[in-house]
Amino acid sequence: MNHEEILQNLADSVISGDEEKAKDFAKKALEAGIDPLTAINEGLMRGMSQVGDDFSKLKIYLPEVMMAAEAMKAALSILEPAALQKGTGTLKKSKVVIGTITGDIHDIGKNIVAMLLRANGFEVYDLGRDVPIDDLIKKAEEVGADIIAASTLLSTSMPYMEDLISLLKERGLRDKYIVMVGGGPVTREWAASIGADGYGDDGEEAVKVAKELLQRVKGK
Amino acid sequence: MNSIWEVIDKAETGPYMEERDFDLKVVAKKCRELVKEYEIRFDPNEIVTTDDSMADDVYEAGMRLALEAGIYCINTKRIIKFDESEIKEGILSAPKELVIGQGRDSRVLYARGIEDSRRPIICGGQAGAAIPEEWYLPMSISYMKEPLIDMINNGGLAIVEGRKVRTNTPLEIQATRRELTMLREAAARAGRPGISFIAGESSVSVLGDLAIASERYMRPSDAHLVALLNELKTDYDRISKVVNFTEYGAFNVTLVDPIIGGYAGGPEGVAVCFIASFLLGRAMYRSEYHVCHPIHFRYMSTSAVECMWNLNIVGQAMARNAPFIIMGDVWTSAGAGSEMIFYEIGANTITNVVTGTHPLGVSATNGKYPHASGLETRFMAEVAVAAVRSKLNRKGANDLVVKLASEYKDKMGKPDIGRPFPELYDVNRVIPKPEWNALYLSMKKKISELTGLDI
Ligand code: B12
Repeated sequence: MNHEEILQNLADSVISGDEEKAKDFAKKALEAGIDPLTAINEGLMRGMSQVGDDFSKLKIYLPEVMMAAEAMKAALSILEPAALQKGTGTLKKSKVVIGTITGDIHDIGKNIVAMLLRANGFEVYDLGRDVPIDDLIKKAEEVGADIIAASTLLSTSMPYMEDLISLLKERGLRDKYIVMVGGGPVTREWAASIGADGYGDDGEEAVKVAKELLQRVKGK
Repeated sequence: MNSIWEVIDKAETGPYMEERDFDLKVVAKKCRELVKEYEIRFDPNEIVTTDDSMADDVYEAGMRLALEAGIYCINTKRIIKFDESEIKEGILSAPKELVIGQGRDSRVLYARGIEDSRRPIICGGQAGAAIPEEWYLPMSISYMKEPLIDMINNGGLAIVEGRKVRTNTPLEIQATRRELTMLREAAARAGRPGISFIAGESSVSVLGDLAIASERYMRPSDAHLVALLNELKTDYDRISKVVNFTEYGAFNVTLVDPIIGGYAGGPEGVAVCFIASFLLGRAMYRSEYHVCHPIHFRYMSTSAVECMWNLNIVGQAMARNAPFIIMGDVWTSAGAGSEMIFYEIGANTITNVVTGTHPLGVSATNGKYPHASGLETRFMAEVAVAAVRSKLNRKGANDLVVKLASEYKDKMGKPDIGRPFPELYDVNRVIPKPEWNALYLSMKKKISELTGLDI
């Protein structure tokens, strides 16, 4: 099997959400002497970007994307250590701490954003739903996050996003993090008015904005 | 026998499972398998379907999903399972008719049939939206003043006495009580003191709900919504709401809103999930009636073609096999004050009344902006009545729905969100402003001509 075939199989294993196949071809890639970063970028990531496209066109649905993410994670568990060992390029990923904020259990939109971020190479810490702002900050401090992303679908949980920004300011941490907000009732204007750095109408915009902000604010 | 108290036992003792496994290995997997096995197929050109056997297949698949999956309780991570006899008992004991509201304003809400010639019950309001407290009263009056509106389901309050309400804090109690106080006042001022409410929308946690179980706020002839969580899940807040209203004696209404593109898959998987949700929702919450609300993961609106197909197939499947009282939501992408909203209302309402549900809405802009008023809901009621009066059958309905949908389906990504209530209505006299009224009249004429219905 030549290199291109292995890379194609890696991409396919992500597209079909096949964990076993993904692990198998990750090993095969290393055995065949493919650079682990090439395997990640031209195999796994290629598959993932296809998955993202198909999802946005509703050709596939949330479970397929989640399974694709699982397959990718499985292959990464083999390829990442190899890349580190080889010391090829930088593997440093930008870190995002995300959660649906206090009082709110609407998590489908947040799950989609988290998944698409992950699919685009971010290291995502998803704290789930009804997450106190304190926990978001604590986790961000603990993992050295670049971005804190908060989601809500409830007007009555939007004030907690304002609280998040005030609390960061009060603790002198505001400049350390990019803060992104989103979800149903949140608007671009409102996000700007509370001093958030970024907003996204949907998952795709969330990813685009996260990338732009990282470059602009953090030079990454 | 299976009451809410046995359900609580089951939530404490049922089989344990990680939530993610329930989402992927139970719901996602089974929905996909069942859709394949029963060869259920969505066709965008047949939004209102005439194939009875497909409706029955969707029902049978949904029943199997209900039995195999059960309901996942998030707090205990346990599955609340029901056996066939419990689910059947839920179906047999489900009310087919219900008196809602009081006195002259009371109505008989009933399980609608397919191509039913009876006048549907019209539930009006911008259901669930966050509405500014300054206009909550006149906006509610704008719905209740409409003689064609039979019952009300308006939005909630996110600000009370100038203070921002934060979920699950003391202000939630005040916001929920204020919502009810204003609805009562609106009903009196509109001359509809006995009109039935679906209310308590400001009660995001259980706090607000607990605070309104009193004649001053909610009457036993009123209702609150208790959702199933996506998909086939519940939690202690929801179960607490049920316990509260069960003991108080007012109506529990199950809100079922599976997401197209979510765990259940595409339109077909969602249809199967809907049936399971209704059957399990009835067995679990003992709800007197139900709300059918398909969600499109991109557009949200029930007026999206895939969502209307769901309202159609689920309405028919239930009407043929397990006649429940079901309200079909009318949630539009566009806002009041736009032209687009009339096409969305037209298509969505025709679908509902011909296929077994009573229209509930209009939740303009999907409740994102308070760009809504009584007038577009009057239009919803007029379309509903016209469709029934003209004895529209499913085939005829489909032609109209496809035609109306073609007017807006490409605009759903960037809808005209219209204008806020005070720009549409004279808020003191609570009547539509001349421009809004003129737009309504011209669109009514246009849609009458387009559809041949006498709206
Ligand atoms: C599904 C749903 C539910 C489900 C949620 C299940 C779940 N696991 O998520 C259930 C049934 C449980 C539910 C419950 C309730 N709901 Co609800 N729900 C909805 C509904 C119909 C769809 C939401 C959804 O999933 N959309 C699909 C996803 C894909 O879209 P999304 O979340 O917006 O996410 C996208 C973008 O916003 C963006 N995004 C999201 N997060 C983030 C974060 C960042 C950082 C960025 C950049 C971008 C981003 O990207 C996402 C992907 O494209 C909305 C209607 C609506 N108009 O949205 C009401 C809605 C949100 N619910 C509402 C209400 C009132 C409630 C209840 C309070 C009802 C009640 N009285 O009990 C409870 C709340 C309980 C609680 N404590 O949270 C209201 C909120 C009104 C308001 N403005 O406050 C809405 C608007 C409906 C309405 N008008 O009634 N609901």
